[in-house]
Amino acid sequence: MYGEKAVELIRQLHRSPDGSLPPFNEDGIRQVLEEMRVLFEQNQADVNKTVDGAPGLFPGVQLRHAALERNKRCLLAYMFNRMERLRAMRWEFGSVLPPDIKYNLSEQEIQWFSRYNKSLAAYMRSIGGPSGGGLDLTQDLKPPKSLYIEVRCLMDHGEFETEDGTILLLKKDSQHFLQRSQCEHLIRQGVLEHIL
Amino acid sequence: MFVTDIRKEFYDKVVHERVLVLVAFDVDALCACKILQYLFQCDHVQYTIVPITGRQELENAFLEHSEQVKYVVMINCGGNINILETLQPAEHVIFFIADSHRPVDLVNVYNDDQVKLLMPTTDDFDIPAYDDLFKDDESDDDSGNESDSSAPSGKRRRLDEEVLERRRERRLWEEKRKQILLDYEEFSTYGTSSAMIMFDLAWKMSKDSNDLLWWGIVGLTDQYINNRVERGKYMTDVGDLHKHTLRLNHRNEDDDNTVSVDCMRIYFDEELKLALYRHWSLFESLKHSSYPACKFKMWTVKGQQKMHEFLADMGLPLVQVKQKFTSMDMGLKESFKGLFTASCEKYGLDDISFGSFIAQYGYKNKLCAADVVYAVNGLMECVEAEKSATGYFLEALDCLSRQNVKKLLRGLDLAKRQLTTIMQTVHSFIDMKQIISAGPFLYAYIPEGHPDVKFFSRPNCLGMLAYFMQEAYVATSRSRRSTLLPMVVAAPLNAETGSALVIGIPPKAEESTKNFFGRAFEQAAIQTNSRTLHDNFDTSIIEMKSEDRSKFFDALISLLS
Repeated sequence: MYGEKAVELIRQLHRSPDGSLPPFNEDGIRQVLEEMRVLFEQNQADVNKTVDGAPGLFPGVQLRHAALERNKRCLLAYMFNRMERLRAMRWEFGSVLPPDIKYNLSEQEIQWFSRYNKSLAAYMRSIGGPSGGGLDLTQDLKPPKSLYIEVRCLMDHGEFETEDGTILLLKKDSQHFLQRSQCEHLIRQGVLEHIL
Repeated sequence: MFVTDIRKEFYDKVVHERVLVLVAFDVDALCACKILQYLFQCDHVQYTIVPITGRQELENAFLEHSEQVKYVVMINCGGNINILETLQPAEHVIFFIADSHRPVDLVNVYNDDQVKLLMPTTDDFDIPAYDDLFKDDESDDDSGNESDSSAPSGKRRRLDEEVLERRRERRLWEEKRKQILLDYEEFSTYGTSSAMIMFDLAWKMSKDSNDLLWWGIVGLTDQYINNRVERGKYMTDVGDLHKHTLRLNHRNEDDDNTVSVDCMRIYFDEELKLALYRHWSLFESLKHSSYPACKFKMWTVKGQQKMHEFLADMGLPLVQVKQKFTSMDMGLKESFKGLFTASCEKYGLDDISFGSFIAQYGYKNKLCAADVVYAVNGLMECVEAEKSATGYFLEALDCLSRQNVKKLLRGLDLAKRQLTTIMQTVHSFIDMKQIISAGPFLYAYIPEGHPDVKFFSRPNCLGMLAYFMQEAYVATSRSRRSTLLPMVVAAPLNAETGSALVIGIPPKAEESTKNFFGRAFEQAAIQTNSRTLHDNFDTSIIEMKSEDRSKFFDALISLLS
């Protein structure tokens, strides 16, 4: 049936849990494009015949055209949603992607990501005027309640150097009171847990 | 060195530094740690908390973190061991020790630079004088030898006499020193609870609140429930805390300034020695609390009858008693305490009540200090394999916060299970007559195949069992001597390595909590070459190889008789 493969792409993306990115399904996309090409050629032929005077072909053309449009929408949705996820990851993991996610990206997506990085960095640098030195927007996604927070170590992480140069040992089941800005990324990585 | 002004000499020193906080595994330490955490959070003091189970772990933890810290706070650990010798710290490291274990190690007491003891000066320490313990050695022998070789022969005799005299003095002094040390270290006991000390600090800094007070109360109650403090001392401390309670909770008295029900309120009340009855049924609680259970001899048919009679005397219907306390008739629930105390005298349960505190926040949560102690303990010594011991320690730390009521409820359930297990074990031991009077002490051994053996691999739970057993044995035994006997209980700790946990507790008749088993265990181990591990901060709890058990106890018997 027409459109089946395109919906399958969407489903595949939908099934994968939030915060992860399934491999870019190049094969699926090619198949959809192939289907679209066939549909288009058939339509072209039928339209030519109709122009030549053959009756009764019009409904078929319309059906195929609808299928074409639908395939196109599905493909765009697939690309767009992947991009959205990729953008969320930029805010979550920072400018360097984990290798397993990078491996799942297509060539164009990698290009887009690096361009997005560049423009975000340029924007962040520009905040606060030319001498302001910029502001890291990815730091506090929600306004922080206090400068320091209490965190608990979930795994052995080894030594960790804070910005002021002190070194502390992050060992499983130890509890620390640290500056929020310094341990936020470790919380996102799942090394630390924020205790309320 | 004892700290006299805890605020100036302790808090103001650490306030802009990184602090390493080492916390022992008991409820008192947890509460103290909570209070300290709150204070540190107010002032943005960066800290690291590490749970510590025993001496070995103390050394490891210090070693791991020693590079990064200058200030170390120890809560309920480290006071009774020579910190400088065991940890070999760098010279700039300063230790602050809040420890309720006594006796305090004398080197810690007399070290002025690195070891600061956060203990109230009102406690009675009986510290021997400095001159009796330490002497500047060099002058004695060296000068003697020098004059020996260089002095002309005429003077020699007189010098010899002088040297001899000096040596004799020294020998006498050494003997005296030995005796003093022996007397000082003979008994292990407990002093003021660390949570109280920390609350005191908070109060002096005007940062005290109901939450902090509650932790202080729970810490103190922990000492009382686990028989670590004498009744007299407990009553004095309760009196102190009562004053704070009145000060912090006066706003609710009149109608003009009421506070919302969601705010925490603490008030003093007479509490019954019935474990967890607010969260259980009265019947179960009566059955599982050591005091009434032993008075009624609940493990006999006659005892059961007597308890029913007691309930009938109070006028409580069995149906009501057996259902959850919260679902009991309102009228009965309110009048129950009065009825109870009235009937208690008739049945010889004179000691059933003690002064304690109750905290209430919201309509739902009404907690009595003793129940919180049971719950936190239950959570901390949970034996399920879901998490590691330190994992449960942190759970217990969490459940003390007010927003984590759910965890506390889980703790209550675990505590019930603990109590049920203890009761069943005591019951079967009495029935099978497995508590043996070994002469100078009572002795019970929990066999390896016992179904609930894992519960008793935790020191606090084993302690609870030991006290319950002792009380039960005394209640059943005919001879009056049994009240004068201390008790030793051993339980297998780890089947794979074949180790056992041994605990000794003082006699029941004894008012004080002085425990001589620490030294006795040490000596028995030396005499028999048993493989023992004195890892616990409480010296009367040791680990040993199960194979060495019989020879160890033979030695212990001959030592004590």
